[in-house]
Amino acid sequence: MTAHTPVLLVEGLTVRRGERLAVEQVSFQLARETDTALVGPNGAGKSSLVSALLGLLPRAAGTVQILGHELGQAGELPRSVRAQIAYLPQTLALQGRFPLTVGEFVGFGFDPPGLGLAWLGYRRRSEAVHYALKRTGCQDLAERRLSELSGGQLKRVLLAFCVVRPRQLLVLDEAQAGLDAPSSEQFQQLLLELRRQEGWTVLQVSHDLEMVRRSCDQVLCLNQRLRCSGVPNHALSPARLAELYGPNVVPYRHHHAGVPGHG
Amino acid sequence: MPGFLAMADAAGLLEVLGQPFMQRALLGGLLTGALGGLLGSFAVLRQLSFFSDALGHSALLGISLGILLGVNPTLVLIPFAVLFALLVNQLVARSGLPADALLNIVYSTSLAFAVVALSLVETYRGGIQQLLFGDILGISWSDLSVIAVLLLGALIYLALSLRAQVLLTLNSDLAGAFGVGASRHRLAFIVLLAVVVAVSIKAVGVLLISAFVVIPACGGRLVSRHFPLYALISACLGGGCALLGLLGSGLTNLPSGPCVVIVQFAGFLLALLVSKTTRGSPAGVFLHSGRQP
Repeated sequence: MTAHTPVLLVEGLTVRRGERLAVEQVSFQLARETDTALVGPNGAGKSSLVSALLGLLPRAAGTVQILGHELGQAGELPRSVRAQIAYLPQTLALQGRFPLTVGEFVGFGFDPPGLGLAWLGYRRRSEAVHYALKRTGCQDLAERRLSELSGGQLKRVLLAFCVVRPRQLLVLDEAQAGLDAPSSEQFQQLLLELRRQEGWTVLQVSHDLEMVRRSCDQVLCLNQRLRCSGVPNHALSPARLAELYGPNVVPYRHHHAGVPGHG
Repeated sequence: MPGFLAMADAAGLLEVLGQPFMQRALLGGLLTGALGGLLGSFAVLRQLSFFSDALGHSALLGISLGILLGVNPTLVLIPFAVLFALLVNQLVARSGLPADALLNIVYSTSLAFAVVALSLVETYRGGIQQLLFGDILGISWSDLSVIAVLLLGALIYLALSLRAQVLLTLNSDLAGAFGVGASRHRLAFIVLLAVVVAVSIKAVGVLLISAFVVIPACGGRLVSRHFPLYALISACLGGGCALLGLLGSGLTNLPSGPCVVIVQFAGFLLALLVSKTTRGSPAGVFLHSGRQP
């Protein structure tokens, strides 16, 4: 793999959900250390596309290459490549009194893919967990139960889960869903900071078009097919938004006064 | 075991402790309880509590078929339980219906067939009470060996797949993205749970088997913050309560399976009390993190 090999290369990807065609003939690529947003209305196939890219859904057609390695039909990837991918879901299924601390959860992010004993390499693991929690401002949460966290804290812990070991590709599926405006802004700032420090290539599904306009390098507009793509000012022009979401969508730019790090 | 039931006082208990059948029963209780607690700690988190209950009830059909065909019911029970687990897994995956509704359909139908099958056996004298509530005092060395091997196998599998099990519980896509084969681990776990339930039924009975899986795990969850501690406490609660319950059964001359479940419930109440009184206190920190206050 050379420095110019795209981190993610998708060609002619088609995904079915039962009988329904969820994603049709989608092609795009992500260059190293770029931040790309995947936008589109509900039911456009964004989550199906992400699932197929991660190897969680079978492809009806097309190819996916991650870090120069072809993704198998059943999601097979070399372990070394799989370890370079991180994924942030919208939420976790946390029942009351879930017996898992923040430190333990982040430690699972450090372990390599596959079966193994979690306590092997304990010292290196706990140092990495401590550092990841510190970098995401979660050091005081290490002994807290995961189920006791607020929405904003949980998202930061999920970022700690990703940053606990070096990775190259970070995929976020509406990671800011459920956060209020200040928490969402803080999360985005932290993500931006970590992305720059870690050299992550980011693909994030988002409905926050203002955030996408401000933070992302590239936008993919999906509604079953890729309707348009490019830099935010081009892809999110009023005409293109009307084409993607329908004529009644009014682009609205909002600002959060008093939020640290936000101008 | 009429000899055992006759010796109901404390002095008699000492004597009966020297009997091989009682030693086997105590060891069987300890192993079955620990196995139930360990598997239960994962099953409860994976929301499979009802699965063990439904499997327990459905197992009556396996036992009935064994009796009807003149085969040792224990030999029929394990393949029956595995088939049940595979059938439910397929139904959940293909029908799109909620798992609890499907379990209800499968187990009530199995129970209906079991009752019909038993009504056809005129010569059966095994005693329905033993099927329903188990006969831990009748446990043999070969039963004990199977339970010990299962406990060891479960320990190894769960220790190696701890990360996979927890991530699958939290979010199956998150687990998949980190290289966890979700369907493979889900299937492996429910087959393991099915085999454990099938093997434990002889000791515990079809009606009480789910208590062995659910109660110690819920007690462990109340007093532990760390996952390994939770699994350990659940296994210890399961094994310890089984021992106490069997001893209590010997002292009071009451049926052993129900005695164990009553002690498990008392253990659960104690855990609830401990969780209420230690929340936020140094003692709570000790219990939760394993550090001295």
